[in-house]
Amino acid sequence: MSFLLRRLGFYFTAFLIAISFNFMLPRMMPGDPIDALFAAAQGKMDIAQMDAVREMYGFMDGSIFEQYIAYIQSVFTLDLGPSVLMFPIDVTTVVGMSLPWTMFLALGSLIVSLILGVTIGTYASYRREGFFGQFVPPLLAFISNFPYIVTALLLFYFFGLQLEILPLAYTYDPSIDPGFTWEFISSVAKHAVLPMGSMILVGIATWVFNMRNAMINVLGEDYVTMAEAKGLSSFRVMYRYAGRNAILPVATAIAMAIGFSFAGSIMTEVVFNYQGLGNILLKGIMARDYPLIQAILLILVSAVLTANFIADLLYVWLDPRISK
Amino acid sequence: MNKATTMSSDAAASAQHQKNKFKLKCHAIWIKTKAFFHGNPPAIIGVFLITMILLGALFAPVLSSHNPEKRVARPHQAPSADHILGSTRNGRDVYSQVLHGARKSLTVALFAGIIAMTIAIAVGVTSGYLGGKVDEWMNFITNVFLVFPQLPLLIVLAAFLGQVGSLVITVLLGVTSWPWGARVIRSQTMAIRNKEFIISAEAMGESKIRIILVEILPNLISIVFGGFLGTVIYAMGAEAGLGILGLGDATEVSWGSMLYWAQVSSSLYTGAWWEMLVPAAALALTGGALALINMSIDQVSNPKLKTGPHMKLWKRLNRETMKSRGLL
Repeated sequence: MSFLLRRLGFYFTAFLIAISFNFMLPRMMPGDPIDALFAAAQGKMDIAQMDAVREMYGFMDGSIFEQYIAYIQSVFTLDLGPSVLMFPIDVTTVVGMSLPWTMFLALGSLIVSLILGVTIGTYASYRREGFFGQFVPPLLAFISNFPYIVTALLLFYFFGLQLEILPLAYTYDPSIDPGFTWEFISSVAKHAVLPMGSMILVGIATWVFNMRNAMINVLGEDYVTMAEAKGLSSFRVMYRYAGRNAILPVATAIAMAIGFSFAGSIMTEVVFNYQGLGNILLKGIMARDYPLIQAILLILVSAVLTANFIADLLYVWLDPRISK
Repeated sequence: MNKATTMSSDAAASAQHQKNKFKLKCHAIWIKTKAFFHGNPPAIIGVFLITMILLGALFAPVLSSHNPEKRVARPHQAPSADHILGSTRNGRDVYSQVLHGARKSLTVALFAGIIAMTIAIAVGVTSGYLGGKVDEWMNFITNVFLVFPQLPLLIVLAAFLGQVGSLVITVLLGVTSWPWGARVIRSQTMAIRNKEFIISAEAMGESKIRIILVEILPNLISIVFGGFLGTVIYAMGAEAGLGILGLGDATEVSWGSMLYWAQVSSSLYTGAWWEMLVPAAALALTGGALALINMSIDQVSNPKLKTGPHMKLWKRLNRETMKSRGLL
């Protein structure tokens, strides 16, 4: 329990640092972002609204310390001011609409690539002198290290544009009403295949190699030889005996992968015009919508921190020794 | 007189000795290189591809057929004899652009990797070797950086700075991508810091700096190099990503800015696939090739991972022995 509390404390501190960074960002930059904002809004905002934004940034009267407290208050009350891009909608509302899609992409692809990668890695280590073990890992290493954007573009071109078998944009068919219907769910699934597929392709090699390397260490152990000598099926030896013990070091890599997955989601969404945070972020950048950009950074940090905490819970469940 | 001759012969002998030593060292390196490539097709393919790409970047002015920054063709011309990889919407020659873009993209990636690994080594080794309070603090900072999503952070920084040049991108990439390397280096340093050779160096009164530089660092080379390649791959992808989002300097010729212009002119939709797919393929090949090399380096630092023809050889010999004994 103390382990989890310590982690919780760490994530909270990290979150505070992120807020402070967000607070300092517009102050460190050359020029006044408020002026840039005013220019970008092109007369859409009147003086009172500009003052509201100024206040939201903490550019109000008072010492920098007072400004800082006010900013922290606004973050914890989720009152981040209006968005320039979609004026007069709240930044919080805009982010709230697109966050679920990004979570779906990032965590969905992470889980699928984790399961696939661990399975392939286990098999590749078990058959490491055979064709599978010799050929598949290098091939995956090659393909997986294409930059996110490139994998997404290639899939977009070949499966979307050339073969025309999968949709190229949006999270679901706009003509379908969202709801818990088969039609809607299948449309969401169909629209997720390409973006998620590209992220799985990029993410999978990490797990294959982590698992394979961990397995190769475990396979030399006596109990594995013993299990084989007992005449257990290779499936049983692979997954129940060796795999179970090799998975621990793999689980530690999850924390790192979560951040990468969210980053990948942003890139992928831009290519596939998927209506998640990445897409909104790009639009925000084009419109110089600084409040929106900062809110997205903040929400991404919180999402990654939360996901990390869940990974910690998983780790405790896998290895109960750690919580003592 | 006599003394002088002895001295000169001594000098000659020592020169000869130095020469022999040098020869031996060269020979050892040659043997190691051969062992690295032997029965390791991924390493051969990776090194071959990277050599080609580096040569292409190095000799870009000689190899390119046109000025990459000048309008030399009609918009979106298909690949032909004159423009072997076609032309862009703005009438630039794609082949020349890809060659020149390699220079910018690879420079950004390489220097970002160097910056990141320098920070990673400084933080990781200090933290792992010194331990105690220093380690606690450095580890905390590393972990904070580690849980922050790097790419969104980078995007936001670039967005606030406006259209940033490649120099700024290099620094931003380097400064944000060191934590993973630092963590790996730290744990490896902790693993070797209690080995006999470190303890004996400490007992002999060697200074901390010397122990770190002479005793510890050489043992980290494969990890550092692996981390370096990983960072280079990441930095190259991030540069391309920032480019396509329009956050880089679109007037510079790099793979990222090529993707940006291809995206702006929606070249994929209009059928001008070459404008988009050529830089994409260049990025893909470079990333893949670097990954193959990285994988082979992993095998050098951990020989257990190496599986190849020597296992086949062992199996074949085993089978033959069994046969000769009439067991099979």
